[in-house]
Amino acid sequence: MIPDTGTILGLSAILFGIGAFGFLARRNIILMFVSVEVMLNAVNLSLAGFSRHLDDPRGQVLALFVIAVAAAEAGVGLGLVIALNRNKPGAGVADLTELKW
Amino acid sequence: MFAAQATFYYMAVASVASALFAVTRNNPVHSMLWVLALFLHVAGIFLLLGAEFLAAVQVIVYAGAILIFYLFVLMLLDLPGEEARPRFGRHWPFAAVVGGAFAALAWLAGVETFDREAADVVTATRVAAGAPAQGSLEEIGMALFGPFALPFEIAGLVLLAAIVGAVVLARKRDTPF
Repeated sequence: MIPDTGTILGLSAILFGIGAFGFLARRNIILMFVSVEVMLNAVNLSLAGFSRHLDDPRGQVLALFVIAVAAAEAGVGLGLVIALNRNKPGAGVADLTELKW
Repeated sequence: MFAAQATFYYMAVASVASALFAVTRNNPVHSMLWVLALFLHVAGIFLLLGAEFLAAVQVIVYAGAILIFYLFVLMLLDLPGEEARPRFGRHWPFAAVVGGAFAALAWLAGVETFDREAADVVTATRVAAGAPAQGSLEEIGMALFGPFALPFEIAGLVLLAAIVGAVVLARKRDTPF
């Protein structure tokens, strides 16, 4: 079986680690959201791997729900970014330290 | 057999490289384009895993809708000073340690548990049982509208709430509806 499940999980672990690093290290809100998308993609990859390993379509169904939630998260998150940007230009987290704005 | 293996390793290396570029590039638009490359390569891995519908959704919804939405907002905001800023916060080595530690732990848990032998056992039992080829669209559709009907409807509700929430958040405050 190519690729085997262990390799898929290893690749998924690496991608999730890169996404976690990006989320913690970047200081731009939009790029932090994108790092979250990278992490969600890594999880989808491992779900698809498990789905094939267990020969069960439920893993792929779960991955579809993850994609739906990612779309909702992108909508609300970017709406927030636009609302914040209207009051105070800039998308760095350092620009947004006051709750008043 | 060899072609499938070579394709998988190309997809794996390319997706790791594009993820790394995506989180380290200074220009946000370049970052987005690297994420696009990542999504397309992950869709290729889905195809290799026999998840055709997931690959199509990955390309249409993720690369086609979500990423374009990010790009729209990025270009709408037009952040000219973004490239001049430091790309990482002050504590980025800590973040690198956290990401590396998580990846190493998950690697150990995943790769050590699911070695080649275990996968072969599952394949052998599936072939022996005469099970249908997994990953077919029909199976996923039956699951979505059978046992997963309620979660499916709730996902629709979540998306509706997100649409309404995004409109309420992003509209101008001083204008009435």
